Amino acid sequence: MKAILTDVTKCIGCAACVTACKETNNLDKGKPREWQKSDGLSSDNWTSVLRKNDTYIRKQCRHCLEPACESVCPVGALHRTESGAVVYDEDKCLGCRYCMMACPYGIPRYEWDSPVPYIRKCIMCHDNIAAGIIDQPACTNICPTQATIYGNRDDLIKEAKRRIKSDPKYLDHIYGETEVGGTNVIYITSKDEKLDFLTYYTNRLGDPEKKYGYPDITQSIPETTKIAMKSVPPAFLGMGAIMTGAYWIVQRRMKIEKANKDANKVNNDKNNEVGNG
Amino acid sequence: MDRISKAKSVLWIILGIAGAVGITRFIFGLGVTTNLTDNTPWGFWIGFDVMGGVALAAGGFVIAAINYIFGNERMHPISRAAILTAFLGYIAVAVGLLFDLGLPWNIWHMMVFWNPHSPLFEVGWCVMLYLSILFLEFAPVILEKWPERKLLAKIHAMLEKVKIPIVIVGIMLSTLHQSSLGSLFLAMPFKLHPIWYTPILPVIFFVSAICLGLTMVMVEGLATSYLYKKEEHPYVLNTLRKSAIVMLLIYAALRFGDIFYRGADKLLFTGTASILFWLEISFTLIIPLIIFSTKGINKKVSWMFVGAFSGVFGIVMNRLNVGGIAHVNNIAESATFYLPSFTEITISAGVVSGAVLIFFYFIENFNVWEEKPVDGTLEVKSIPKFSSNKVYLGSTKVTNRIKFSFFFVIAFGVTFASISGSTIENKGIEEVKVTKARGGDTLIIDGNRDGFAVTFKHEFHKSKNIECGSCHHMNKPGDKSTGCYECHSGMYSEGDGFKHDWHSSSAGAGQSCFKCHDQNVSKGKGFIKSIKKAKDLCLECHEDMFVKNSNIDKYETFKTASYADAMHGLCVNCHEETLKTDSTLKRLKPNLANCSNCHKDDYELKVKQMRGKKLMNKSVILP
Amino acid sequence: MDNLLEFAKGPLFRLTFAIMILGLIRMVGLAIMNGLEAKKLASDTTIAKKYVRKLTFGFILPIRAFRTRPLYAAVSILFHIGLLITPVFLFDHSLLFDRAVNFSLMDISLSKESADMLTMLTIISGILLVIMRAATKTSRFLSRRQDFVWPLLIVVPFISGFICANAAMSPDGYNAAILVHILSAELIFIILPFSKIAHCVLLPFSQWITARSWKFIAKGPEDVVIALNKEGKPL
Repeated sequence: MKAILTDVTKCIGCAACVTACKETNNLDKGKPREWQKSDGLSSDNWTSVLRKNDTYIRKQCRHCLEPACESVCPVGALHRTESGAVVYDEDKCLGCRYCMMACPYGIPRYEWDSPVPYIRKCIMCHDNIAAGIIDQPACTNICPTQATIYGNRDDLIKEAKRRIKSDPKYLDHIYGETEVGGTNVIYITSKDEKLDFLTYYTNRLGDPEKKYGYPDITQSIPETTKIAMKSVPPAFLGMGAIMTGAYWIVQRRMKIEKANKDANKVNNDKNNEVGNG
Repeated sequence: MDRISKAKSVLWIILGIAGAVGITRFIFGLGVTTNLTDNTPWGFWIGFDVMGGVALAAGGFVIAAINYIFGNERMHPISRAAILTAFLGYIAVAVGLLFDLGLPWNIWHMMVFWNPHSPLFEVGWCVMLYLSILFLEFAPVILEKWPERKLLAKIHAMLEKVKIPIVIVGIMLSTLHQSSLGSLFLAMPFKLHPIWYTPILPVIFFVSAICLGLTMVMVEGLATSYLYKKEEHPYVLNTLRKSAIVMLLIYAALRFGDIFYRGADKLLFTGTASILFWLEISFTLIIPLIIFSTKGINKKVSWMFVGAFSGVFGIVMNRLNVGGIAHVNNIAESATFYLPSFTEITISAGVVSGAVLIFFYFIENFNVWEEKPVDGTLEVKSIPKFSSNKVYLGSTKVTNRIKFSFFFVIAFGVTFASISGSTIENKGIEEVKVTKARGGDTLIIDGNRDGFAVTFKHEFHKSKNIECGSCHHMNKPGDKSTGCYECHSGMYSEGDGFKHDWHSSSAGAGQSCFKCHDQNVSKGKGFIKSIKKAKDLCLECHEDMFVKNSNIDKYETFKTASYADAMHGLCVNCHEETLKTDSTLKRLKPNLANCSNCHKDDYELKVKQMRGKKLMNKSVILP
Repeated sequence: MDNLLEFAKGPLFRLTFAIMILGLIRMVGLAIMNGLEAKKLASDTTIAKKYVRKLTFGFILPIRAFRTRPLYAAVSILFHIGLLITPVFLFDHSLLFDRAVNFSLMDISLSKESADMLTMLTIISGILLVIMRAATKTSRFLSRRQDFVWPLLIVVPFISGFICANAAMSPDGYNAAILVHILSAELIFIILPFSKIAHCVLLPFSQWITARSWKFIAKGPEDVVIALNKEGKPL
């Protein structure tokens, strides 16, 4: 399984990866539009380099091991390939944008300005690699400082661990090793610059310790809906059973009531007759 | 006009407005017509049309259960209306969804390409199946209108036989998708605010849907009885009120119990989310419960309507909150806080109006109620005087038809005229005007408009024997050094360099089109381009327009490049040598529309020297 | 002046054009619905289909009219041909359409000479029609005031358009002429679906409607008898 390791400390912010990505994937030049987020990603920019103080952080699709987008797409337009890349089949898509809502990293972008819009995101140059045109993604290929490298996920995690051990400047955490079930794009960073890896998780609420019923950070998104989805058949059949039972009981009771009434009536009539007699 | 005609006129006008807006949405795409962004991909259409719509239609299965399963025959007067509301509600959901989907013509993909892991897949299938079930439940009303047709009568009899199984399957399906709409948001644990995010979201959705079903049936019953001047059954209203109180109390217990259990109660009084929450709660629970349970006012129809409507509003607000408003990304980043645009609200209103109009049609033409409403206008109070100027239009049906279609056409036309146009195409592009930077020796070119700029010294370039023509190619007539911004005016948008209107006006010598365009090409598309090169043409009148020895031989008469593109060409073309030697720059070349990508420090240094601390002053003219 | 011109070209044009198209569709819809309604109410639901068909085609292709009033028929036909073909196939209009919606009939548009000729023809025949209407006693008697106004109003954009295309004049004069051209055409657009000019779409239905509507409604006579309190009495 292939992966990308980005070493934030090595990045010089030259944005060569952005350019290479645009060339390889034939992306438009693009214009800044109102609906874009400030992180530089757009339907024409599948990767971007963000500047934070003196470090540069490259942003792209994380290619989760258990992708939220794959699990929520109602038509299966997004799916994970054997190589580890999460790719998009635009012939299937119907444009519901559930993937954009569900992605814990806020990655997929939409072609808002088009009357025939599609979802756009990094696909790890999957098509080109599968066709044998290139042997690694354009971004890792062009990186002048080897800040972002491509390889087998296990090897890259070993390499990341080696780097963290060898140099005390590194933060002892591999981003993407376990987060939301693990990702194929992993990051290591220096101690000074912690990453805002899961954009919406802890930082926005101020109190990272409180979980408020949120699932664990290592739990993948497909897991969160699993219980609800699993309880669908029992709920369906259970409701049917309850309703049928209720109907049966109510009908029976009404019948008995009616029978009682009739019996009473007959009794009353009889009584009346007796009384009269 | 009587009440119902007034209501219908308003609905037809809304439908007309929505029709025009809807066309714009399909021509120009979602971006410019809605306020949806990459940050908030779901908005009003999902929150109100889909989630609210499905919940609003919950009255169908709730009333069907009370009436057919629990055998409360006295609720029968409203059961058909409730089922019709549900049926139309689901159709409205489907139509509303067509506007929200990016590729609505692919909606059938859900039937072909399966992904059973997806909650949305399950919701989609349930809604489709339930729509068919609702149709079967409602079909007898249509079929009984033609008892003389044998085939229809046969189908009718068959449907009556399987009525109870149909109702039960309908309830089963409703249970599923009402709760599964909540499961949709279980997949967004890091986005949905903790006041709303809970593992039991599906249960909360189901219970609140029942509350909404009951209150919505009340609203619908009270509104139609008002419009058609009909008495509402006191028993039905009372039963609904009592059940609503019970369900609302259950909902309140669930909601607050859940919040306190998860420890999210600490968030109940902080931030925007808390305001949204308490608004929602007061509409859903506080107002209806007070009105429904206070003796005296809970018998008054107007108060009951207020209470029921408040309940409906509150739960729809809950759906909107869960559907996109109360998401952490929306609340926390205040700059992109999502509020629905005019387009979104009108289209939703149009879809609802359409559904309501169809509802009225069924009420007037079929036995939805036990008796059809009396058409008061049909009673002729006095014999109309004959007037030769007036045309007698016949029945109210005909006059109404003429009136309503007229309203529709006018509303459509006015809306279409006011919203559609060339301006809407450029909406969404950041309006960045190029500021004045002329007259001085040193220019500060802020290519990105981000506060980082390159300094450009005219003297320095001249000293290297670089001629003016390297950068400048055209001056306005009588001008010696026209600033680049005067033609390349927008930062990111193209401009009309040649002012056609000005040239045909008297101030511009009143030239006709055939001065430049060939009269003989008055056929075919060749007309767009002129017969000669713009350079030669302009020279015929303006000898002083062209900068001597200009390197730039592109003279467009139709559209000029954007400022960023023009700058890109100008700087990069000359500094190509540097590009060749500098490996980083070479790779960056296509992105070099923005000189300041690299020249950041340059600006900071020079400007500090020249201007002190006013670093961010973007319109700089230096001596 | 420029602002007014911009407004007339942009929003006002879209408004009038949208109302015209939708209004005409509405007229057709109403005609069909009202005809069917009349059928439902009528006591006698048969109509003389053959006669209706004959009259309808007779109006659409007025060949028979040549026998009775050959000159009037010829002028009328010429007027209609010019009226329909010139605006639709004029090159300048195609250009405007091309810019606005990126679709036009530019490749089959008229050459300038033929467009000029057709325009002149329309203007002359339009004026002739008015004169002829006024000249004959019977048609003058049958005419309302508006019947004289419509042909003259329709001719206005043709005259102003012709002036714009051919006369050499100052830009201000040109602007004024083109403004008259645009505004008068838009006036026609907006009143078209609400006046008798709507016959451009209603013509195929007019005979059918007449045949359908001129029937006694079912039970009509009985209702009259009841209303007059003469039940059971001999007529």
